[in-house]
Amino acid sequence: MKHLRHLIEYGLFRVVLFFFDFLPYTCTCTVARGAANVWWLFDRKRQIVGRDNVIRSGIETDPKKARAIAKKAAHHMAIVVVESLRSKDFLSDEDTTDHLVLDIKPDVLAVMQDPEQSLIIASGHFGNWEVAGHWVSRFKPVAGITRTMNNPLIESIVKKRKSRFRFRPIPKHDSNMGRFLEVLEKKEFLALLFDQHAGEYGMMIDFFGHPASTFKTPPMLHLVTRTPLCFASCRRIGPMKFKICTSSLIHQPRSGNKNEDLKAILGSLNRDLEAAIRKDPTQYLWGHRRWRD
Amino acid sequence: MSDISKEKQIIGQLRGILEESSTKEPDWDNFGRNSTIESLGLDSLTILDLLYDIEEEIGVHLEAKEVLNITTLGELVDLLIKNGA
Repeated sequence: MKHLRHLIEYGLFRVVLFFFDFLPYTCTCTVARGAANVWWLFDRKRQIVGRDNVIRSGIETDPKKARAIAKKAAHHMAIVVVESLRSKDFLSDEDTTDHLVLDIKPDVLAVMQDPEQSLIIASGHFGNWEVAGHWVSRFKPVAGITRTMNNPLIESIVKKRKSRFRFRPIPKHDSNMGRFLEVLEKKEFLALLFDQHAGEYGMMIDFFGHPASTFKTPPMLHLVTRTPLCFASCRRIGPMKFKICTSSLIHQPRSGNKNEDLKAILGSLNRDLEAAIRKDPTQYLWGHRRWRD
Repeated sequence: MSDISKEKQIIGQLRGILEESSTKEPDWDNFGRNSTIESLGLDSLTILDLLYDIEEEIGVHLEAKEVLNITTLGELVDLLIKNGA
């Protein structure tokens, strides 16, 4: 029964993918927005979480306007899928100036271009992080954690698509320190999204002024292995057009007090992410329960 | 310092570090060379915390990859001695 369901889902997915690959970008975006609207209509829980998170962040205090931002963010996430599926159309080109505006800090660029150095790139669920991951793999292979689909047939297609260029997905269930260290040892890039609720593994750090359990993995890897660390974001600035920005390298000399060092780095990463989100709040994943007090 | 007293000293230092940072309460009565890393409440994520503390308290930098392969406290002590503790 399960296998039959997977086969049906796979068939539907292939049909959708076929249209997404061949329809013009604007058409696929319209379809994606429509799908997001249907999802929005039925997932009332996410509507409330999204609206409340926008209000809590202080970006908008009016519940109606906050709801509108959360809904636009749902549209955005649907378009992220479309863009990620189609990004090879422009990322394969030598000249990407029609699609990408780059603001990479010189110290980060130097590390990216140095074959002897690896780099930890910390980011959040803002803009189109997949496009950024694929672009940066022009320099060196990139490994990043990805969620595995429940349907193994669909997973095989998604994995193939995500592995384009030199991006290597690490399935979430198989993401462990050994895998991360292997990436850094090979002098590759490790891309980590740090803005989901980290539970007991996290450290409580202010996010928009409210404490949120934040993953310690990027700063701990930086402090222990001395691998350079930076924040990066990729904001949509037009149809299939993005601005990729990085912070400068985060320099946190070890003070001898681990918790203070972690707080300083995670505070800096959260502030960078907040600044990116403020530029366009409709491009953030507000539907995630970031604050759980 | 003899090897045995060196080893005792390092085990004492490691206990001090773990008492400060461990989120689990290890079995201190049986704390020694044969204690497994798992029984000390350490996993692949928290081991980075331990490495930071070892470097601060004992003054030895260990390669994280090497530490991930060890299974007992005794192996960790041997690794520290090998790296100049």
